Amino acid sequence: MAECHPVGFRWAMEAKARGATLIHVDPRFTRTSAVADIHVPIRVGSDIVFLGGIVRYILENERYFHDYVVNYTNAPVIISPEFRDTEDLDGLFSGWNQDEHRYDQSSWRYSDEPADPTLQHPRSVFQILKRHYSRYTPAMVEDACGVPERLFLRVAETLCHNSGRDRTSAFCYAVGWTQHTVGAQYIRTASIIQLLLGNIGRPGGGILALRGHASIQGSTDIPTLFNLLPGYLPMPTAGVDVSLKAYLDAHTAGSGWWSELPKYAVSLLKAYFGEAANANNDFCFDHLPFINGNHSHMSTVADMADGKLKGYFVLGENPVVGSMNGRLQVEGLRRLDWLVVRDLALIETADFWRDAPEKFPTEVFFFPAAAHTEKDGSFTNTQRLLQWHHQAIDPPGDCRSDLDFILDLGRRLKALYASSTEAKDRPIQQVTWDYTNAESVLAEINGFGVTDRRPISRFTELKDDGTTACGCWIYCGSFADNKNQPARRKPGHEQHWVAPEWGWSWPNNRRILYNRASADTKGRPWSERKKYVWWNPDAKTWEGYDTPDFILDRPPDYRPSEDAKNLERISGIDPFIMNVDGKGWIFAPTGLLDGPLPTHYEPLESAIENPLYKQQLNPALLEWRRRDNPYHRPFDDPRFPYVLTTYRLTEHHTAGGMSRWLSWLAELQPEMFCEVSPELAEEKGLRNGGWATITTARAQIEARVLVTPRMPALRVGRRTIHQIGLPYHWGSKGLVRGDSANDLIAFVADPNVSIQESKALTGNIEPGRRRS
Amino acid sequence: MPQKGFFTDTTICIGCKACEVACKEWNQLPDDGFVFSGLSYDNTVELGASTWRHVAFIERPVALGNQETALGNFSWLMMSDVCKHCTRAGCLESCPTGAIVRTEFDSVFVQPDVCNGCGYCVVSCPFGVIDRRADDGLAWKCTLCYDRLKDDLEPACAKACPTDSIKFGDLIELRLMAEKRVEELHERGLTEAYLYGADPATQPGTEGLNAFFLLVDKPEVYNLPSDPVAPAKRSGAAWASLAVAGVGLVAAAVAAIWSDDESSGS
Amino acid sequence: MNPVVPDENAVATYYGRPVLKQPVWIWTVPAYFYVGGISGAVLVLGAVAQIKRDPGLRPLVIAARRLGFIGQAVGSVLLIADLGKPSRFLNMLRVFRPLSPLSMGSWVLAVGGALSGLASILPQKHRSTRSLSDVSGLAAGALGIPLAGYTGVLLANSAIPVWQGARHSLPALFVSSSVASCASLFEMMELSPREQRIVHRFGVIGKTAELICITAMERQLSEREAVVKPLRNGVAGALWTVSKVLTVASLALTLMPGQSKARRTAGVLGTIAGIGLRFAVFQAGFASSRNPKAVV
Repeated sequence: MAECHPVGFRWAMEAKARGATLIHVDPRFTRTSAVADIHVPIRVGSDIVFLGGIVRYILENERYFHDYVVNYTNAPVIISPEFRDTEDLDGLFSGWNQDEHRYDQSSWRYSDEPADPTLQHPRSVFQILKRHYSRYTPAMVEDACGVPERLFLRVAETLCHNSGRDRTSAFCYAVGWTQHTVGAQYIRTASIIQLLLGNIGRPGGGILALRGHASIQGSTDIPTLFNLLPGYLPMPTAGVDVSLKAYLDAHTAGSGWWSELPKYAVSLLKAYFGEAANANNDFCFDHLPFINGNHSHMSTVADMADGKLKGYFVLGENPVVGSMNGRLQVEGLRRLDWLVVRDLALIETADFWRDAPEKFPTEVFFFPAAAHTEKDGSFTNTQRLLQWHHQAIDPPGDCRSDLDFILDLGRRLKALYASSTEAKDRPIQQVTWDYTNAESVLAEINGFGVTDRRPISRFTELKDDGTTACGCWIYCGSFADNKNQPARRKPGHEQHWVAPEWGWSWPNNRRILYNRASADTKGRPWSERKKYVWWNPDAKTWEGYDTPDFILDRPPDYRPSEDAKNLERISGIDPFIMNVDGKGWIFAPTGLLDGPLPTHYEPLESAIENPLYKQQLNPALLEWRRRDNPYHRPFDDPRFPYVLTTYRLTEHHTAGGMSRWLSWLAELQPEMFCEVSPELAEEKGLRNGGWATITTARAQIEARVLVTPRMPALRVGRRTIHQIGLPYHWGSKGLVRGDSANDLIAFVADPNVSIQESKALTGNIEPGRRRS
Repeated sequence: MPQKGFFTDTTICIGCKACEVACKEWNQLPDDGFVFSGLSYDNTVELGASTWRHVAFIERPVALGNQETALGNFSWLMMSDVCKHCTRAGCLESCPTGAIVRTEFDSVFVQPDVCNGCGYCVVSCPFGVIDRRADDGLAWKCTLCYDRLKDDLEPACAKACPTDSIKFGDLIELRLMAEKRVEELHERGLTEAYLYGADPATQPGTEGLNAFFLLVDKPEVYNLPSDPVAPAKRSGAAWASLAVAGVGLVAAAVAAIWSDDESSGS
Repeated sequence: MNPVVPDENAVATYYGRPVLKQPVWIWTVPAYFYVGGISGAVLVLGAVAQIKRDPGLRPLVIAARRLGFIGQAVGSVLLIADLGKPSRFLNMLRVFRPLSPLSMGSWVLAVGGALSGLASILPQKHRSTRSLSDVSGLAAGALGIPLAGYTGVLLANSAIPVWQGARHSLPALFVSSSVASCASLFEMMELSPREQRIVHRFGVIGKTAELICITAMERQLSEREAVVKPLRNGVAGALWTVSKVLTVASLALTLMPGQSKARRTAGVLGTIAGIGLRFAVFQAGFASSRNPKAVV
């Protein structure tokens, strides 16, 4: 966190100054480790064993927060008798279909039997959990992760000791957890721990996802992801969501806030298509693009390399350096008819063609972009906080903002297709496009009444009859009262500690989600020290330091009747209102493609066999078996005996577009380097300050050598595993240049979110410069 | 006007180098070249005429008193070095043009429109801070953001430092704060924490630094001298040597000239 | 380069990096030590000769003034050439700072140079101008005393270990070397027998004193190996040794009675030694600044 979020890390340091214990778990000893109280070096790709070990510790030693677990999680729920755990199937769950390469999840569902609050029923989630993690012992943690038992136990005990009524603990993670073929399950394991310890929805608790980029949270909220519409509505699938009704029926939940999905969806369509959208034409539902498969980054680039795409817009991204398998990326770009790149400098993705050995027909357009100080707009950070930034100066020369560019592009497209009579052009003709500036965009995202154009204040006011328009239901309220709420800057010292008048967070300016869980079943805070929101029996409302994340007038003792529908089904003790049963899911009956409980699988390319199960890999992982994407053997590949991991440094930013062209940053870390332990250096004859060549089946790169104890060799089982560290910031252009570490990585991904596995792979290293 | 200064608490430095960048940006300093040093994460290597904040990185086979890692005896120290703005400043006392002055904030400031680049300050600094720039021939160093101070702003490095490792303020308050911090760290098990240059008693050679530090290892580990002395404090012996030799010179001349007389003998 | 952890047992350093900055001065600075030093010594000699009011010494007095002035003028050019911003050389007289030997030295050089120049230019025929030139000459002579060796104080008043470490002896060394160099210079010229005797005595005293100061300085510096090291190694060490040897040789030849060839050779050796000594001390400062173990 100190490496990649030094400014955010100030709060971790502030907590430490007030007595918090900082525990850093990372394969390397980084600048975060340098100021942590406890540092745990861990083998890359083995975190589920570590976290699973903590789950087991909590259960074995009965350190879970009993009242929280029984009442607010699905621990008491009984699972279908057809369910089989990894304990039964040596690493697989019931329902795996090898031919279809997917799980049939029907055996994972809840049974109809009543839940068991004593948590004793053998098919209760609680007991299934216990059994599932029974093999994740401290000895196994030491064996599989290279973490000494004693240190593991110290971490587990510290965490438990600091959780409960009076104290809470938080997990902070970034792509060290997500960029694995089991990435989503890493987060799930942490969620299970936090639910067991009662840390979700409570101040000082929770799980903080540190995004890699100033507004990447915003780019999933108002998404740049292929399978999402704003506010995490699913993108319609061709052939399945054949009408608006079919779409709504498929995705509307029986209870919880997703039971209101029709209101969000219709309001979104009204925002997109304005007057053209009405009840008679399904609100122009068919104008939306429909997906018919996985159109994530790697799939798209693979298609590109096969000549299936004509054009590509790349805005503020540098895939030739930042994405995996650079050679395949370039191959994709060369097959395009046209490529548009917008950035602050002529990054590698815009300029790669200059170094190409032979010509190819792609037409490349480069548009210089404005920096964030040269335009109005908002950032949405990792805490769902929207903060507005104001333009300070005009962009120089031809530089313009993305908003400017897109607006202009839209206007020109509309003009181009204005007189068309073809049905396919109607979406362009009918999309509303009368924005004037950034604030006008936010106003539409916020939502307004269609007839009176008045801004809407809360997403609960949205309707599914076409009378409301809203660009993103979770952002509803960001322009309440016709005021730019994210632009609020009331200083912290003029407010109480939650500081709700600085910026605006979604939804409804709620700062901690699921904060109903900060109070007990009677609506009283679990402790005075951790009081956050509570039920006021006199005023008959929830209140507190934050916007209560609950139906305001729903008393804690409310229990739904048998025939209750939708929101009425949320009881007074259902804090997790985005889930259909209102409980925190320790066991996830649906929602994840690779299992209801996190299970340790080795990365696609590992040094060792899976020490826990016969099943080596995540069965559902996404692969691209192509000649230009060769894989290593899953373990013990003699060509590639070492483990590689990639990461960022504080001094540079991701693929370097914002740092390698700036002399003051470039001089801080001027050359690509690898980090190796003194033992590995001795074994391979690597010299500090010298050169090394690192190889995988995909590519060969050269790097300067930094010999350091911070990249330790680990005892894993009976073997010594050497890990090589590779920062990935360099490319062939800019003030400082170097080889790109991500060239080494293959296309392989987590099945749930299609994120690449760039944190764990194998490779080889030799002293000396690259010969090619 | 109260004395202003820096208290740099290295135990909360996260080595982010925001201080280096903020300083360069505010003062529009040139880069110092793009060279990989191989010295941990320190590619800046030293302070100089165009680097006025330098973050040092020390990987050492010694554990910190209040930290546990499976790496065993290991810790990584970080420290943002800067001009010390000494109470007895070697550079100021040596400067023949009067370019280097003491400001109303008690900082040491080089007036770039007066300096003629004689370079005497460069050899007079016991910390190796100030240097002469090759392109304009002038001596440059940290100004304690004199221009910002005059407008009631804190120096750029202090402002940018995310963890407040660099604290700027009234020297008296900073010293009290620092003493408390050392006590607190001792209680938390980091008994090796101490202050460097915080007062004249512990650093008589400079009579105290306006930019002082909290360190956890010997000064030399951070590239600091353990007993820095403003050269003028010791130059009495040199002037005395000159005086005695001067007498000798006259005597030699007299002996040479007068003993040429037959009457005085030789 | 080995892994970047300091050796626990050795004196700690930061990766062996220097603590101090190297001097930014160029060769014109030690050249000035030599030239300016001679100026100082010769102006004192000339002033003392003037006080004796011996008409036979008048040529020596005039020559001393002129030589002194030329040395100060050339010395000024040498110093200005070393400045980072030579156009601002007049700023040396912007302040009068007793703590700074460079400030004091600049004033001594400037005022002394004006005085010796005045003393040199003023015609000797008229009594008034001659008196004025005498007063100027005397004043220049007085300033010649510090001029002969303040540069030793200048070096000692620095953070460079080998210079600061030698502070008790370096100024005296420079003064005696100035006397020796002045005498050696004259030894290479055509002199009257009387002048030869004066120069002879001046030279013997100077060279002897120089050798004594060298010994004292070495002894003082030897207390710390890291501090004395530059005088024993490298270019500085070689120059230092050569200068010592040549000074001894020059003294020996000076002591040999009579022979003019010996006298001239003594002068040549003494000149080379004098130049060599200044450059040796100067060069030693560079190596000293680079050694973190020499710094306390």
